[in-house]
Amino acid sequence: MAAPCRKMASRSFSQLLCYFSRTAVGSGACRRFSVTSIDRATPRASTAADRATSPWSLMAAVCLQRLPVITADCSPIEQRFKQMLQQMELEKSMLSDHELRLMEDAERMSRRQADDYDSDEDLGDQEIMMTQDLEDSWEQRLKNFQPAPRVRADIDEDLTSVQRCLADSLVLLAEQQVGAEKLWLLPQAAWQEGETLRQTAERALNSVTAAGVKATFLGNAPCGVYKYKLPKAARTENSVGVKVFFFKAILADGTPGSAPTASLLWLKKGELQKYLKPAYMMNVGRFILNL
Amino acid sequence: MNHIFRKLQVTFPQQASILNQSLCRATPSIQHPVWCTAAINERQYRDMPTHGIGRWRHLLLKQAPKKKKDRNQQKELVSATDTAYGTLNVTVSGYDMTVVEHYSQYIHNFCNRLNIKVAESYALPTKSTEVLLMQEQGNKTYVDAVLKTHRRVVQLSSLNASLCPVFMDVILKNQPEGVQLSVQEHTEADYQTRFKARPELEGLVAQINH
Repeated sequence: MAAPCRKMASRSFSQLLCYFSRTAVGSGACRRFSVTSIDRATPRASTAADRATSPWSLMAAVCLQRLPVITADCSPIEQRFKQMLQQMELEKSMLSDHELRLMEDAERMSRRQADDYDSDEDLGDQEIMMTQDLEDSWEQRLKNFQPAPRVRADIDEDLTSVQRCLADSLVLLAEQQVGAEKLWLLPQAAWQEGETLRQTAERALNSVTAAGVKATFLGNAPCGVYKYKLPKAARTENSVGVKVFFFKAILADGTPGSAPTASLLWLKKGELQKYLKPAYMMNVGRFILNL
Repeated sequence: MNHIFRKLQVTFPQQASILNQSLCRATPSIQHPVWCTAAINERQYRDMPTHGIGRWRHLLLKQAPKKKKDRNQQKELVSATDTAYGTLNVTVSGYDMTVVEHYSQYIHNFCNRLNIKVAESYALPTKSTEVLLMQEQGNKTYVDAVLKTHRRVVQLSSLNASLCPVFMDVILKNQPEGVQLSVQEHTEADYQTRFKARPELEGLVAQINH
């Protein structure tokens, strides 16, 4: 374990410029994201004397998350509380400019309709557009606006679509060959000499997804580790087991449109249990936030 | 009942003291209650053994007098090390002021909870954007709406690299709608943009230089 840790500690960390925005859902399913990394120092090669041979081989995995695009629906209590607060705010609030103008116009109309109306009293120039007409035109424009549907049941069912369940955050899962069997797990790759663990995780992501996918890694430090021993038959002097380090990444607003390979799934945290092995799930569940 | 007890208390020092002066001074107190003895300016009990019993300010260490100019000085920029980021600016911006302010307060409280040192928390000036729409009949544009962009900045003095992914993940997952989040390094130029331009001063400086 000596080599990679020392390398990570000695390198100066890259500076990140991240810009995240959460605006109304347009055509894209992801938040707008742009990242510029300012400084990345080149890795210092470790001498052969530094490395102690360890029976654990290293891998890095990426926990790619797609953040929620729309707000989650409120529970019944939350809805009632929200309504109550809105009512309270309405009652405490003062009249806005628009409402004051409406009242003035109504008063002016009633004065004009009165019997003892004197046209000289009417000071100020007549507005071409009455405030009520303005309000009516606004109402009309609102009716013409059709928002996109929030929940689309058919897309929600499709586990491979990145646009499912817009109100929850999804995690990417890939089916990879581990040893003799194919397992569902977070995309991982073996660590190679001369690269950081984060670069390994980036390589893992690129190997599993299509080319157009852009992801922002949240930091150079891993967020979790999972170690497992190889089955007794496969154990040798030099390899007892594997340690997998997890890195968190957020899906940027790239077009994930180019068809992903069939062995990818986008799952909510609650659905992960059906696909992951129990020990792995326990470990991974600790750093995936269910917010 | 009370004044009887007070008389008893007063007579003890009377018996213990030897000086006649104290006797003379003590005697008026027997007739009158202790709390309305004499004028406030007159220090009556300077020779009493309990004189100055409540004094505590002389026990404190001498504090340097506070300079009033300290408030607006710029805090030092922390530079990045191998294991921590330097001074970072977390900027929250949006059109709805209550949401923007509440989100920046949430970030500040979250930093406090994770023991991340918050250097400063300030607001940048609001920018107003006028939305002009073309009229349906004719070429004139009319003012449709005025949108105000509010910005709040939470400045972190240093962020541990191992804590960074956790911090960013939680903040992103709790980001409200209509709010933009931006995390950048703090530079000298950022600090200077907070000040208002002073045209007269710049004019005078230009005159001096020419």
